Amino acid sequence: MCVSLSLCLVRWSRYNPYYLDPDPSKDARVPESELSPEEKELQELKTVSPIKAALSSDTSSAFNDPLISKFINMMMQDGNKILARGIMTQTLETIKRKQVEKYHKSPAAKREEIECNPYTVFHQALENCKPIIGLASVQKGGKSYQVPVPLTDNRRRFLAMKWLITECRDNKHRRTHMYEKLSQELLAAFANEGNVVKRKHDLHKMAEANRAYAHYRWW
Amino acid sequence: MSGSVIQEKVAKLLSRQSGKPVLRPIKPLALKNEVASRKLKKGEATCVTEMSLLMACWKQNDFNNTVCSKEVSVFYTCVEKAQNKAKAKQGTQGRLLPKEANTLLKRFPNQSSEI
Repeated sequence: MCVSLSLCLVRWSRYNPYYLDPDPSKDARVPESELSPEEKELQELKTVSPIKAALSSDTSSAFNDPLISKFINMMMQDGNKILARGIMTQTLETIKRKQVEKYHKSPAAKREEIECNPYTVFHQALENCKPIIGLASVQKGGKSYQVPVPLTDNRRRFLAMKWLITECRDNKHRRTHMYEKLSQELLAAFANEGNVVKRKHDLHKMAEANRAYAHYRWW
Repeated sequence: MSGSVIQEKVAKLLSRQSGKPVLRPIKPLALKNEVASRKLKKGEATCVTEMSLLMACWKQNDFNNTVCSKEVSVFYTCVEKAQNKAKAKQGTQGRLLPKEANTLLKRFPNQSSEI
């Protein structure tokens, strides 16, 4: 929903592999004395090679979080980034409210264990939802088997986010808002409970059941 | 140079002067601007021992990841090492990969006819 004309999309979607990613953070410029030799090489490379255009959603502010941006993009439907970002902010606010309420209601001894920062809650919840081993379909002798396989970091992060979003879209009451359901699921995942963590455990159990087929892999 | 030597040999093989010609080519005797792709060598499954250790730990502790954190980290290091090894092994060995050769030939092809 591009309302204003000032948001022109300058960035291409396909770049040559030697183009480097932009680093919009303010701390990108570090004085030369504090760099190790590999980092010095990296800086040299940055002066010579071309760099991709920055996305309009990447800011140099301290609140820019790549993980949250990725989650917002995954939640977005039909290009409605404004709505997706609104839902995300509402979710973080709800998490903060719930945690602060819990903090004030609990006795002084337990207060230190309660995490009030919604960003850390989000990161920890996502970590708890990430599967460690996945299943891949391998054809051998006419039959296809589900083989336990190690997953790349990107794939694990994608699966965790996808499970969270599908869980919040499907298994909720028609009248609960997305941000409410999301905050509930995130707080449950932070405590290692809830449906998403259960789904992760189911995947691990299937992988464990099929561990005999692990040698069917050739990579 | 050696180019003309090869052309003379080919001419001899095609000529009808000394009985039947040895070669009866259907397509022109020229190299294609492409290299055949190599058969993928089937490796073995990597990190199976670490995976089995991790699964044993899971079975004992009811799939609790905080208790099995050591095996998890060992598994991750093994996977990373295997990935780096696979990436490094592909390009070396002295020869050009068929994909790289094909890209070069597309940019600098053999001229089959005069432009």
